[in-house]
Amino acid sequence: ENISDFSVNMTDCTQVVVPEEVFFTIAAVGILENLLVLIAVVRNKNLHLPMYFFICSLAISDMLGSLYKTLENIFIILCKMGYLTRRGDFEKKLDDAMDSMFILSLLGSIFSLLAIAADRYITIFYALRYHNIMTLRRAVVILAIIWMFCAGSSIAIALFSYEAATVIPFTILFPLMMFFILCLYVHMFLLARSHAKKIASLPTSTVHQRTNMKGAITLTIFLGVFLCCWAPFVLHILLARFCPHNPYCACYMSIFHVNGTLIMCNAIIDPMIFAFRSPELRSTFKKMFCCAR
Amino acid sequence: MSALRLISNRTSQQASSNSDYTWEYEYYEYGPVSFEGLKAHKYSIVIGFWVGLAVFVIFMFFVLTLLTKTGAPHQDNAEPSEKRLRMNSFVADFGRPLESERVFSQQIAEESQSLFHFCINEVEHLDKAKQSQKGPGLESNTHFQEVPRSSGKFEEDLNSLTKLNLPNFVNTEQNSSLGEDDLLISEPPIILESKSVMQSSSRILD
Repeated sequence: ENISDFSVNMTDCTQVVVPEEVFFTIAAVGILENLLVLIAVVRNKNLHLPMYFFICSLAISDMLGSLYKTLENIFIILCKMGYLTRRGDFEKKLDDAMDSMFILSLLGSIFSLLAIAADRYITIFYALRYHNIMTLRRAVVILAIIWMFCAGSSIAIALFSYEAATVIPFTILFPLMMFFILCLYVHMFLLARSHAKKIASLPTSTVHQRTNMKGAITLTIFLGVFLCCWAPFVLHILLARFCPHNPYCACYMSIFHVNGTLIMCNAIIDPMIFAFRSPELRSTFKKMFCCAR
Repeated sequence: MSALRLISNRTSQQASSNSDYTWEYEYYEYGPVSFEGLKAHKYSIVIGFWVGLAVFVIFMFFVLTLLTKTGAPHQDNAEPSEKRLRMNSFVADFGRPLESERVFSQQIAEESQSLFHFCINEVEHLDKAKQSQKGPGLESNTHFQEVPRSSGKFEEDLNSLTKLNLPNFVNTEQNSSLGEDDLLISEPPIILESKSVMQSSSRILD
């Protein structure tokens, strides 16, 4: 019966395959884009500011994510062609290293987004003291701490990925951080609203009151993109850990490649919503390309 | 049979790493999973997850829209087309931090004017809000800028303020009296800080 079950299973919920060309194209575009952001920030002295450092940190984690997926695909191709054995020790270690790179990318993304939100929060609520609170040196120290913590956790998680104790905190951290970032932004919004109300109540104010849709749209895009790109994968990890033999879970896990592609799409979209909104950065790009021609 | 046993051994291990996982996907289906007698659609988790995510994002969007609603009565302006959405600057420049290149633009003058209006008016009198046009605004602006020349750090602070590192809450138009965006800074700290700013400035001058 085992064999007959097995043959039936072959036809149900087959793995959804993303063509390799699509995969590599998306990964390459993501890596290039983030590399451009990094180069632009490094080259332009005006961009040596805490805010841009945090954006760079986000670009680095996006690059790591895309790099991971690219390397993984290369390894799979090499395995198919027979250059690598599938259960060798070296391959296992390489596999663990790549897993930790991926988790590092996820954690780095989350913490970078958190740092960006906190930086904006301080800019709004402590505007006059911003330069004393967020000095360049402090920003570098904060980034160093974040990345060391992420590196440590990612190695630990990759090594002990078999334990439930690592999977659960990892999957809890994700929504927790998103919720915290959302709270920061909501507080900023509330302050904007209260100030607007105060202005409206002034005797001579002639302000045009209406709903500011664009603020809500921007914030929704920020958080929506991150959620839609990372949450599928996080759910995959949860299901893989807790119900690998359940048919429903198995069907969800069959779209693993699509989830991976989504993560790489996140690497492409993030620079657009964070880095490219800055005119200074855009002008740096133009200068770079004009000089190259 | 030995091959099957290998597969079942593999899948019975605790979550193997992702790559091994994927490699196995390439060659084997998911081990002994039975698809017989499913009550719901087999992709129900996938569909449920994505629908739930979409609903959550839309819900978040509506909550944020409600939050940004100012709720004050609608007032017509002479030239509503010229008025930027207050939050436009917030939104459009959300990614825009300290912009040193905007120092000498008209906008900066207006923005810093409005910012300093807030500081000055809160500290002095609310009546000045009525006359907060360009003239007196710029005067107080330049006055403030003269002060910090004597201290580097202070100058840096104020210069950056005039450059408006605020994520552009503080964009205003030409002849606005205090617009909504002017004052999107936490009120109490500004009052205290502006007071300390003025105190330190007077200390520096003496």
